[in-house]
Amino acid sequence: MVVGMVKGSPAVSEPTYFILAALLDGPLHGHGIIKHVLGLSEGRVKLPVGTLYGALDRLAAKGLIAVEREEVVEGRPRRYFRLTDDGRALVTAEARRMQQAASVVTSRVLPGSAFT
Amino acid sequence: MTSGLGTHVTAGADVRALERRYRRLLLAYPPGYRAAHGEELIGTLLETAAPGRATPPLAEAVALVHGGLRARAERAATGPAWADGLHLGVTVLVVAGFAALLPYAGSIPVWTGLAGLATLAVLNGWAVAALPLMVLVAARVGAIALGRPWPDGTLLPVFPDAPWGEGPALYQGGGPVAPVAAWALAFLGLAVLAARRVPLRRRSWRWWLLAPPLAPAAQDPLLLNADPTRTPARLLAEVALLLLAVWACHVTGDPRWSLAAAVYVLAKCAELAENLPYAGPRELAHLALLAFPAAAAAVLAHRTRRHDTL
Repeated sequence: MVVGMVKGSPAVSEPTYFILAALLDGPLHGHGIIKHVLGLSEGRVKLPVGTLYGALDRLAAKGLIAVEREEVVEGRPRRYFRLTDDGRALVTAEARRMQQAASVVTSRVLPGSAFT
Repeated sequence: MTSGLGTHVTAGADVRALERRYRRLLLAYPPGYRAAHGEELIGTLLETAAPGRATPPLAEAVALVHGGLRARAERAATGPAWADGLHLGVTVLVVAGFAALLPYAGSIPVWTGLAGLATLAVLNGWAVAALPLMVLVAARVGAIALGRPWPDGTLLPVFPDAPWGEGPALYQGGGPVAPVAAWALAFLGLAVLAARRVPLRRRSWRWWLLAPPLAPAAQDPLLLNADPTRTPARLLAEVALLLLAVWACHVTGDPRWSLAAAVYVLAKCAELAENLPYAGPRELAHLALLAFPAAAAAVLAHRTRRHDTL
């Protein structure tokens, strides 16, 4: 599902939005991102590993995230990803856009409704 | 104590079985990607697995196959799209042309061998070596289709070899234009590529594997044969490859696969044009079945480029 599009920027899908949002708290490795996204979305977005790494590759290719460091844990490499300034700007702009879109509805709902 | 040890051993066996199955699924990824990140993916997959699980969850398996194929498509979508798409289209035509001759290899071994060599040269990107071979094969194909025994006095008509059953004689059912047109189109495409003097991409040897299953129906001049046992492999291969082209254009926004599909459809149009008096709704439906995905692939590539989604 595509969340939306900030003018002049690529559209951001829901999994990608949550991946970028998870990295706002600092660098994370693959499993850390999956756990953090699950928490942030209140159990709604469960990223399969194949989907996660595909999204990470595309985000890195566009300069929105970067590899912070690499570790070897139990003989296996593990990359930690961090947001770049462009990535932070994109996810912030996307959040503002969604907030504005949400306010179109919430600001018109009378006090006492489910939205207040 | 024994029970605890037994549980531990079972859990270890489960993890090893799960890892083995994940490694099989990772074969969907390009070898270079697996070498760089395969172990990292395996580590993350095992970390996220539920305890005692020995088989990958369906969603995870689907995501790995999809992710692997997408990584392959993205790696293939480099360099000039038109040149690579044209090379891919030429490859498909040459493999189909070779497949058409394969059942008759016993009667025309030299010409089938030359078609095989031309296929090998095209797959390896050796355009200059492939061009004269394609001229020779096209000339021989044209002669057989015209019912001429030259240049080597081959006894005509040419019947298939024993392992292929009692199929029709080579190019028995149609005029000479369609078989020659496919080779001529492949020649022209490759000549354009050779004129660029830029090395062509080396394609997978697995294209060869398509020739034997396609062979029984590859030389049918009409797009659909009346005998349903002869066409499923060709129809399935055509539809499967075209759907792959549509998907690859959609995920990468690169039009090279739509160009390759258009080259193939163009050759099929020549077949239909030559046999138009005998073509019925089934033949037209088959052409539409090929043309629609080819057009859809081009549209989706354009759409993906315009609406970049992360």
